[in-house]
Amino acid sequence: MRRVSTPFRALSRPRGRLLVVLAVLGPGLIAANAGNDAGGIATYSSVGAKYGYDLLWMMVVITLSLVVVQEMAARMGVITGKGLADLIREEYGIRWALFATASVLVANLGICISEFVGIGAALGLAGVPTYVSVPIGAVAVWLLLVRGTYKVAERIFVIMTIPFFAYPIAAILAHPDWGDVGHAVVAPHVETSPAYLILFVATAGTTITPFMQLYLQSAVVERGLGPDDLGSERAEVISGSIFANVVASFIIIATAATLYLHGHHQVNDAADAAKALEPFAGRFAEALFAIGLLGASLLAAAILPVTAAYVIAETFGFERGISRSPREAPVFVGVVTVLVVVGAIVAMIPGVPVFRLLVGVQAVNGVLLPITLFFVWRLSASPDVMGSYRNGRIFNIVAGLTVIATSGLSLLLLAVIFAGI
Amino acid sequence: MPATDQRLLHLSLVLGSDLVGRAGARVGRVDDLLVRLGSDDYPPVTAVLATVAGNSVAVPGDAVADLDHGCVTLSTDRLDLRPFERRPDEVLLREDVLDRQLIDVDGARLRRANDIELARSDGWWRVVGVDVGPRGIFRRVVPRRFARRVGQSVVLDWSQLEPFTGHVPTVRLRAPHPKLARLHPAQLADLVEAAGHREGEEIIAAVHDDPELEADVFEELEAAHQREFLEERGDAEIASVLARMETDDAVDLLLSLDEPRRDPVIALLPAVQQRRVRALLGYDSATAGGLMSPDFVCVYGQATVEEALERVRQSAAAAETLELVYVMNTARRVHGGMPLADLVRADPTAPMGEIAPTPRVVRLDADLEEVARMMTDFDLTVVGVVDEEQRLQGVVTVDDVLELVLPRGWRRTFTLGDG
Repeated sequence: MRRVSTPFRALSRPRGRLLVVLAVLGPGLIAANAGNDAGGIATYSSVGAKYGYDLLWMMVVITLSLVVVQEMAARMGVITGKGLADLIREEYGIRWALFATASVLVANLGICISEFVGIGAALGLAGVPTYVSVPIGAVAVWLLLVRGTYKVAERIFVIMTIPFFAYPIAAILAHPDWGDVGHAVVAPHVETSPAYLILFVATAGTTITPFMQLYLQSAVVERGLGPDDLGSERAEVISGSIFANVVASFIIIATAATLYLHGHHQVNDAADAAKALEPFAGRFAEALFAIGLLGASLLAAAILPVTAAYVIAETFGFERGISRSPREAPVFVGVVTVLVVVGAIVAMIPGVPVFRLLVGVQAVNGVLLPITLFFVWRLSASPDVMGSYRNGRIFNIVAGLTVIATSGLSLLLLAVIFAGI
Repeated sequence: MPATDQRLLHLSLVLGSDLVGRAGARVGRVDDLLVRLGSDDYPPVTAVLATVAGNSVAVPGDAVADLDHGCVTLSTDRLDLRPFERRPDEVLLREDVLDRQLIDVDGARLRRANDIELARSDGWWRVVGVDVGPRGIFRRVVPRRFARRVGQSVVLDWSQLEPFTGHVPTVRLRAPHPKLARLHPAQLADLVEAAGHREGEEIIAAVHDDPELEADVFEELEAAHQREFLEERGDAEIASVLARMETDDAVDLLLSLDEPRRDPVIALLPAVQQRRVRALLGYDSATAGGLMSPDFVCVYGQATVEEALERVRQSAAAAETLELVYVMNTARRVHGGMPLADLVRADPTAPMGEIAPTPRVVRLDADLEEVARMMTDFDLTVVGVVDEEQRLQGVVTVDDVLELVLPRGWRRTFTLGDG
């Protein structure tokens, strides 16, 4: 028989610092790192290969923006006990909630496909054919989401962020000139060429994605956090966001130190980047890069369906079936199944124009992000919703500027995409 | 639903309707309906909020002749342009109820109001039900001329619903929520856990007037939620909840409080409860000593069956801890345990020491596994817990053990976020 203890008993007798730390890790870390998905890694690789360290400075700016946005979402979840879609419906009405839901569904399905492509590509480097790796990945993700309890799923999500440590190691193996790296971070190099701007905007877009706020807030609620957990959850969100962006920076450094320096400026996808690393940094770096890609793709492939299920359940009011876990609810199972199955199947079809698909997904996200961020900003500033926990005056201005700037970049990306197609 | 002499109106199709004067001229647009909660089973519409010439006005119910889809008719041509003012028990249907959660008392679950149904009864328009089905949503997003053709889907009668009003400025802290009394404490606890923080507080506040019920609800709440709702209260209030709880549950709750708060709260407990709580706090919570409840009945061997039964009658202990009545010798060592049913059937004059069989007991430091195994092997619902001297210190009941050994996935709780 297992030895079981109830949560408060566990709380009253902490068994060690490590466990305490692990228990705190959760939605914030997961949400931010799910942003470093297959598409993200592809973008960061392109940035590093094309511009070397030149764009590293903006990771600092993006990190700050991400922290501001994620903190608001987490605070709302902790204080109200409701998901973002719940609040949008209650405060702004059914139409906005439906619009957000539809966009999330389309966007998440699209990104989900790209994650399964990422899984196939990562294992493809080890010689596993797509029609083997993708179905296995899909079944694993589905079982975890539908069969696992929230707590188990969350623990595994946290564990799935461990492969991200492969990138710092890969970057170190690539022997970058750390002086150049430091210089690039503190002394921004700005260009006005369209290619530079596009990559800039794409990086911002892939680092701050709507599903990250939606997932974070709902997961905080499902975790059962209350106002007295605000401090620890805030710390968790901030450290998780910083970790995610440090990882992203190391991807840029790894590719910059090898591909860029050796004149290999064109990277088409993440697997490409992994392969390209080999001649310069050895097989080990390539393998690490692939492991990171696999972990990232699996994590995001799990988070995206969950987020879609949360949002649909909240908008339509399905989730509050009392005496029943949301994971047992038919709506939850249905949404997760559709996203995982469709995502995996499309990813396996030979000759699917993955790149065009990703561009389309980016466009949907580009429309959705300003809306999500606007709601996050306004709702977290609302005294009716947040009471005394609403945004402070100065924070609210900073948050507003962040939202406007991020939304502006997102819309700019949209314009670029349409101009490009 | 009450007898109605007319059609059912959907709130979504009344909102945005023309406000029409007695002569038939359009004077404004309907924005919201004000209803009075309270004594009526079906809340009557007390005012219509409308925009007239760019101003927001409240048209009192007696100036409204009739409501209909697309058209609200006034009974007067003279509009009193008073600014809108809400009385304490009034809520706005669109602003405060639509799209928000309600408690479905019959289903013991939360629902979201997709649309609100109105009907005429006792001479005036009242809220009679809430549409919680998909068509209620559909009706609100399609153009108006199609919306009229969307039938109703799942409509719950208002008599089984209790709206949350904590977000309504004037109603705050005043809503009595009488229908919640129909729910079991465990159901109320489930609702508190599933609802948002403010809604959860509202449910707790609604049961606050009944201290026994409140304590029962707290017993059923998960630790995280217990802490969430207790932490904001004063020590005396926490103590009054703990005093009414089973001792072992009270201790668990106490442990979930921050350390510095525990002693002041314990100090405010009634003497008996205080002693029991302090005794339990001394034991490791993963052992029989930590699991046990100190409430039990134990009589001397010389006592008769009738005397033992009298002790049971006078005991305030929970029923499950009394399944076995224990017998001790003059050195207070326990040597007998009589099932309550056997006790009732036994000769009332027989001495307990002679008829009670030897009970199964565990030591204070026995772990959960040992307790569970003994209960399983001997089909017990109660196990006595003894110290080194074989003196009975408490009893572990099957419900306390089951709670801990049940595989996590089997527990039907909302978050499953425990363990």
